[in-house]
Amino acid sequence: MAFRIVVCAKEVLDPDAVNNYALEGKLVIGDDGKSLTQSSIPRLMNAYDEQAIEAALRIREAGVPCTITVVSVGDPGDILKHAASLGIDEPVAIQADTAALDHHGIAKLLAAFVQSRGGADLVLCGRQGSDGDQGVVSALVGEHLGLPVVTIARAIDVTATGDTFGVRVVRVTPDGDETVAVPAPAVVTVSNELGQARYPTMAGRMAARKKKITSVTPAELGVAPAALRPRVTLTKQFVPTVKGACEMIAGASADEAAANLIARLRAENVLR
Amino acid sequence: MSRVVVCTWGTTGGAAELLTLGHGVATALGTELVWVVVGPTADDLASIAGRHGVTAVDRIVDAKLTTFGGDVAVEALAQYARQFEFRLLLVPQTFDARLTAPRLAARIDAGVVMNGLALGANGGEVAVTASAFGGDTRVVYVLAGADRYVVGMSTSALAVEPAPTATTPPVRDVALDLSGSEERIQVVARTETSGPRIEEATILVAGGRGLGDKANYRLVEELAEALGGMAAASRPIVDEGWAEPARQVGLTGKITRPQLYVAAGISGASQHMVGCAAAKTLVAINRDPEAAIFRYAKYGIVGDCLEILPALTRAVKG
Ligand SMILES: Cc1cc2nc3c(=O)[nH]c(=O)nc-3n(C[C@H](O)[C@H](O)[C@H](O)COP(=O)(O)OP(=O)(O)OC[C@H]3O[C@@H](n4cnc5c(N)ncnc54)[C@H](O)[C@@H]3O)c2cc1C
Ligand SMILES: Nc1ncnc2c1ncn2[C@@H]1O[C@H](COP(=O)(O)O)[C@@H](O)[C@H]1O
Repeated sequence: MAFRIVVCAKEVLDPDAVNNYALEGKLVIGDDGKSLTQSSIPRLMNAYDEQAIEAALRIREAGVPCTITVVSVGDPGDILKHAASLGIDEPVAIQADTAALDHHGIAKLLAAFVQSRGGADLVLCGRQGSDGDQGVVSALVGEHLGLPVVTIARAIDVTATGDTFGVRVVRVTPDGDETVAVPAPAVVTVSNELGQARYPTMAGRMAARKKKITSVTPAELGVAPAALRPRVTLTKQFVPTVKGACEMIAGASADEAAANLIARLRAENVLR
Repeated sequence: MSRVVVCTWGTTGGAAELLTLGHGVATALGTELVWVVVGPTADDLASIAGRHGVTAVDRIVDAKLTTFGGDVAVEALAQYARQFEFRLLLVPQTFDARLTAPRLAARIDAGVVMNGLALGANGGEVAVTASAFGGDTRVVYVLAGADRYVVGMSTSALAVEPAPTATTPPVRDVALDLSGSEERIQVVARTETSGPRIEEATILVAGGRGLGDKANYRLVEELAEALGGMAAASRPIVDEGWAEPARQVGLTGKITRPQLYVAAGISGASQHMVGCAAAKTLVAINRDPEAAIFRYAKYGIVGDCLEILPALTRAVKG
């Protein structure tokens, strides 16, 4: 039986573009007081989710027969087409207005989707959305499905013993790498340490054109509107101000500037 | 009762900061502050708690919790939540809590917010200010719609202050049944990064893409050594292999809080600053006088880091 992988992916505002605007002091918040509305900021797949898809593709390439489903809650933009062009089996859009949902609602829908398919052997998520940096949806999905959750993977290996699958994950921790073993089914979140995600090939792009995106509604998943009522509401977003009180240390040469700085740090007792 | 609970693993990892915050919130909500300590506990528990105006300390001690285990910890706290009422449970956002907190929230049907930087209660409404877009923005989340909330707070920028009135809280052991709870995830191997860690260093010299080349990272290491500190790095140069991953500072690297942080050839992207903004004194060396890093720095030198770094090493040694 094929190993069933479900990858959860979302569309985000390009964090590098947001960052560049922020660095130039040109990041603006929209009239609603909570959205980043600059239309020049591209929308793309959350990079960690791209790496989660990459992890799934690597498992398949390692010789594990799998099915790879990529599911997104809300307007997927182009990310499901992108996923399809990478050679995954089924792109799925769960129709919902994400502006009216919180992480709790998104996780409920993702868990309900997995259940509607009779479960999955491995649910892959990104370590966090690069927009909100919350990193909670994966944990919530794991709990809703009653599955163990392994976070911040840099490598994932799947081994089959008879009919049962085992998952080995190398995770990046503050104390160094940690290798853990967990029986499937499990939820694993993928980090950037996994390495560069691949680009679609020309053939992949052509094949993706013919691939239909499956669309499902919350009602079809048996999730009632009441279950999706948000518990956390984003009411405001702002750009933090940084004080900026830097004292510039000068000198006629690099050595003089350096000596002045060291003298200053010693005078302030920062250095002895 | 709508109590505020501060929950920590042992007494370390930002407990005093979170108790300070928790006390303020409990006061604003007109309720009590309870401190739940899971796992290893210290002798001075009651005195720390008393200083921060805690009403009661609940200890969760179990043979299965001598070392941290996610499954048992979540089960223990879920059982605790079934026995005791509370409205807010605050945890310091450690590496483990990033997973434990949302799992607990789901288990007890609570709402959850992570990355909190500030927490306020206004007219009974609780709002969390959190970091988003790697620190580029702040978002305000209002907590309404669930009976309880689990909130992960980043404690590195929180103040520690004693409560106006000290208390003498009782320390209670909470009875839980963890006999049926086992870790589903087994650790097979660990490659401990040996030696000191940048998170604990008092002096850090960090290099970025402005170094231009892998070979120049040596200049960062030499200054770090001369200062008796450690070398650190921005993400791009770790990705390039100029420095070890354990050296990476920032959102997806380490959160550091040294006395002195010297940033050389680093632009000051918020994803980097998240990991070093808590430094007591930040020195920036950058050849671009407009670089964002100077907004965070106390002292700056505008110049070529390939010249300034060796000059600083000479100045320290000489
Ligand atoms: C989701 C996400 C997570 C991230 N996590 C992290 C993280 O954990 N840590 C991190 O660091 N980054 C992280 N980043 C990347 C971050 O946004 C920046 O891209 C990165 O910090 C920039 O690194 P840098 O300052 O070394 O390089 P650059 O931004 O390229 O800056 C180089 C600087 O060096 C200066 N310079 C050039 N030559 C010289 C010279 N000869 N002498 C002096 N100065 C010179 C330039 O003026 C410039 O300011 C993350 C990004 C994203 C999207
Ligand atoms: N709308 C969504 N659709 C599908 N997956 C999502 C969605 N939101 C979050 N996820 C998944 O959950 C992970 C963590 O997201 P977050 O909790 O928002 O930081 C992401 O990397 C995705 O894998």
